[in-house]
Amino acid sequence: MKKYALYPGCLMPTEQYGYEISIRETFPLLDIHLVDINGFSCCGEPMKSVNQLLTLYLSARNIAISEKNNLDLYVPCAMCHLSLTECKHILDNNTHLKNKINTMLSSENIEYRGECKIIHTVDLLHDIIGLEKIKKQVKKPLENLKIATHYGCRLIRPSEIGRPVDSENPQKIENILQAIGAQTNDYPEKLDCCGAPLLINHPETALTKAGQKLKAIQEQDFNALVTVCPWCHKMLDARQNKAGETIASKIHLPVFYLTQLLGLALGIKKEKLGLELNLTYTNKI
Amino acid sequence: MSITDLTSMAGSQTQLRIEINKRLSNLQNETSDYCFQCAKCTSGCEAHKLLELEPHKIVALLKKGLIDEMVNSDIIWTCIGCYKCWERCPQKVAPVQILYTLKNMAVANGKQIPGKYTSMLQSILSIGLIQDIQEAPTYDNKTKKRDALGLPPLSKPTDPQKFQMNLTKIAVEKI
Ligand code: SF4
Ligand code: SF4
Repeated sequence: MKKYALYPGCLMPTEQYGYEISIRETFPLLDIHLVDINGFSCCGEPMKSVNQLLTLYLSARNIAISEKNNLDLYVPCAMCHLSLTECKHILDNNTHLKNKINTMLSSENIEYRGECKIIHTVDLLHDIIGLEKIKKQVKKPLENLKIATHYGCRLIRPSEIGRPVDSENPQKIENILQAIGAQTNDYPEKLDCCGAPLLINHPETALTKAGQKLKAIQEQDFNALVTVCPWCHKMLDARQNKAGETIASKIHLPVFYLTQLLGLALGIKKEKLGLELNLTYTNKI
Repeated sequence: MSITDLTSMAGSQTQLRIEINKRLSNLQNETSDYCFQCAKCTSGCEAHKLLELEPHKIVALLKKGLIDEMVNSDIIWTCIGCYKCWERCPQKVAPVQILYTLKNMAVANGKQIPGKYTSMLQSILSIGLIQDIQEAPTYDNKTKKRDALGLPPLSKPTDPQKFQMNLTKIAVEKI
């Protein structure tokens, strides 16, 4: 049984409940014990355009809280995962900045040490739990389903700071899907951005980007799309209708979190995986 | 407290601008010399086709020192943060880093900035997160909150005052 602090971030625990529910249902079946810790805050990534030091401080603070509890961090959001990883990359290479940040953190009785590992859903499943173990636990293989993958920009880049998957040819989600019995295929738009970060100041363009990607997937005869980030998921699921309207197309593509599909394959009842919170028609599957 | 309130705290704000200026001149010295204007960054840029962002030009303008022109331009706010430019640059230049730093400067200058950043920052200052618990819509047109779904309480800062104090310090001074 491996133990991790669950770092929820902002979007997942305040509205993308389907991801959190399915995480909490599935990981214990794979011998992962998730620990809840009070005191976390935003990772700071949404504030990077405003003040990068604020981002750095907030990320360091969250890592420090986990370190105080002597736990590695499991970070389900790609955006948070990038922010925390980048913070670690910067502070582990800059003692001066690390000391300054630690002076401020001391008022909350915490310290950034840089010992804690930062893990995302994809590497937790693929590299830590491992495909063999997942395969053994599968009760209901997802046969006859062909699923497109969406990794999310911030999960795959920049490789210079260390990301859980390859930046130009990521295959880990594909491997996981195959382990649970589903089919998948690469498609030309796989690495395209969902558009979500642009919602804040260019909403039309953001929706156009989401629409273009969804339409392309729909036209390539996939039954569904899988996501591993609450921002991407919200964009491609909750905003799918709007995205379709923006590019004057009808799009009906069921969108699942990877942990929801995994849960189904592990034999968890669909009522327990938060599927009613997906706004695309996942019942079709 | 809004960003505008924070940024109007004159005096200490000067410190922040000095710090960001230093970061920009470091970027200018350390990166723009390596850029040979191959435009590979622009060819993959997620904001290029629809919003006409050209990251290779951002690097060229930085090299020429035309920082104010960029800080005052709306184009810097079109970057989507996809990190393709950094990933694919053969010279390891990271236009995305330059863009973030330029946006930071625009904010420190008190420039009117687009979007919902102010309300997000306000929310972080008061509860630690960009938003509080929402009613999430369901496929059958109901709404659900965390507790009704059996999820544990939200993790957020236990001492909001101390938390806010440090953030305010960073938002107005260099660290
Ligand atoms: S890819 Fe790199 S070297 Fe080429 S133009 Fe862009 S920043 Fe310059
Ligand atoms: S990070 Fe910004 S500038 Fe760089 S490729 Fe993406 S959208 Fe373009």
